[in-house]
Amino acid sequence: MRILVIEDDKDVASFIRNGLAQAGCNVDHAANGKDGLFLATTEAYDALVVDRMLPGVDGLTLIRTLRASKNTTPVLILSALGEVDDRVKGLKAGGDDYLVKPFAFSELLARLEALERRTKSGSDAPQTILRAADLEMDLLRREVRRNGEAIDLQPREFQLLEFLLRHAGQVVTRTMLLEGVWDYHFDPQTNVIDVHISRLRSKIDRGFERPLLHTVRGVGYRLDG
Amino acid sequence: MRLRTLLHTSVLQLTLVYVALFGVSVLALFYLIYWSTVGYLERQTNETIQVEIDGLLEQYERRGASGLADVIAERVRKDGENRSIYLLADAIGRPLAGNLAYLPDAPTGQWLDFVKPDGASASTPVRAGVIRLGPGLRLLVGRDIRELAQIRSLFTRSSIYGLTLTMALAIAGGVLMAFSARRRLADLNRTTRQIIAGNLSRRAPLRGSGDEHDELAGNINAMLDQIQRLLEGMRHVGDSVAHDLRGPLTRLRNRLETLAAADQPRREDLVECVEQVQHVLDTFNALLRIARVESGAHRSAFAALDLERIVRDVCELYQAAADERQIELVCTVRAAVEVFGDRELLAQALTNLLDNAVKYTPTGGRIEITLERTEDVARIRVADSGPGVPAADRDRVLQRFTRLDQARSQPGNGLGLALVNAVTTQHHGRLSLADNAPGLAVTIEIPALVRSTTERLIAAPLTRVASGAPQP
Repeated sequence: MRILVIEDDKDVASFIRNGLAQAGCNVDHAANGKDGLFLATTEAYDALVVDRMLPGVDGLTLIRTLRASKNTTPVLILSALGEVDDRVKGLKAGGDDYLVKPFAFSELLARLEALERRTKSGSDAPQTILRAADLEMDLLRREVRRNGEAIDLQPREFQLLEFLLRHAGQVVTRTMLLEGVWDYHFDPQTNVIDVHISRLRSKIDRGFERPLLHTVRGVGYRLDG
Repeated sequence: MRLRTLLHTSVLQLTLVYVALFGVSVLALFYLIYWSTVGYLERQTNETIQVEIDGLLEQYERRGASGLADVIAERVRKDGENRSIYLLADAIGRPLAGNLAYLPDAPTGQWLDFVKPDGASASTPVRAGVIRLGPGLRLLVGRDIRELAQIRSLFTRSSIYGLTLTMALAIAGGVLMAFSARRRLADLNRTTRQIIAGNLSRRAPLRGSGDEHDELAGNINAMLDQIQRLLEGMRHVGDSVAHDLRGPLTRLRNRLETLAAADQPRREDLVECVEQVQHVLDTFNALLRIARVESGAHRSAFAALDLERIVRDVCELYQAAADERQIELVCTVRAAVEVFGDRELLAQALTNLLDNAVKYTPTGGRIEITLERTEDVARIRVADSGPGVPAADRDRVLQRFTRLDQARSQPGNGLGLALVNAVTTQHHGRLSLADNAPGLAVTIEIPALVRSTTERLIAAPLTRVASGAPQP
């Protein structure tokens, strides 16, 4: 993955660069909005990580400029402002996801991978059947089968599994789940999400030799693709 | 007070405008009175002269110039008081008949005011009309307007006196007003200066008159109270932050020191250090969030909300966690209620309450969430069968960083209820804690929106598909 990080804080920038490099990404860095905009428009990236407050051209203006010139590279906004209206402003400007500082690196990576995947699988016709290994979800008939065997899910469990299937093979964090499935944007407290996951797991993995839903310690969950 | 400062007060500027307006109105009034009194007399005089001229003209046409001269001589003789003035003059102005010695230089066909000398010391003001009678003859007919002139000068004089007096009074009143307003403002200014200098306990004096100055002073005092409350809150938070974060940070430091001294730090130790830092960060984030909620920054995003939806969402979120601990979680919606607020904040407040309830309720216990509406109040009640909070501690637990002894064994940062409290306050609501015998009952009351939602289905099934759509 080729990623451009536009961030003026040296420590945060090197933290992200090192982490991404370790995860096998090819990282470019710009320390201000002007350089960032130049790189983003002249090079091809899989995703951009843009700090909201930048010297020169601020983050939101940068994103708006990119979008106005039909550049659709997915953008993850980093910001110290974490309220709902800030988030809405960021997404309205053309950002694809929003991460509040301070963040765990694993959260950033999980979200970047989700963004990259989303654009790669992008323009296809809407899927009506989602699959991972021998697990199959029919979105129209709202049925889930594993190895041909019907699995009965509650509506919320269905949504949860749908989200995991759409991100199959990737790590999803608890915050991503609360956002994607429940549509709330605060930090999930203690273990509420874990309990939902373990219920879902007992339904889709129990009795099967190969577990599909894994816990990634300290980060979140992954459904095997 | 110097004149310059006085001139700069807005009250005085207003007063000057007022004085000018007042002066113009008084002038207009005087003119009206003049026109209807002195003007009336003048018009009457002119009319009399006109009638006489018409009469003499008729005589001239009937009897010629000499006849007219006879008539004039006759009229002069009859007019004992000499109130009427006549002069028949030839082309070069020589008098042919009448009681005026010369023809004043005046165009014909116009009204003419002049002074007729009566001997050495006296003179008479005269209003006259002059007409041309055929070739070489001119006729002047006038009236003595001594009385009119007297009335006119009397009127002018009293007008000037009246106007001067009015203006003087208006200016004096204005200046007094300006001074008094300035004095009132000076009180306020003195108070604010003292406050700027650091004496925040000062308050602006109230007179109890209920006027706008009192209102201003009252508002300023209310503002100061609010600022002082916020400052005290800040100070308290500052103290608490110092106290509550020093502990974990010190432990972290010690741990890192040990790790730094070790030859090969264990990976688990490092992970634990990261977790401790995360805990500190979480605490900071929670504090910032409370501060932001309290600042009212969310108010601009407030909208009409369906509380039922939020209550059911949060119940559903916690259902699994409660089931796991074999706690019975019962969600009852007695009425659909709409409120004006922030969905995320209300959901988070409820989440915090349920989190506490699940945390402190023993296995096999029961948690009830009830949403109901009484007239214009939406009431959410979260009642558990846990240990409860002693009555004496109920106010205290709403403050930041309060953790009761029995809670020390549980994870948490003592900020959950503080956030609930802040959110409730921002929604103009009331948060109260009560005994659930056994357990704790927390009630959030916020003003409900008045809408005709009463016909809506009251008890919908607990689980239902929410619109929180997964991303494509």
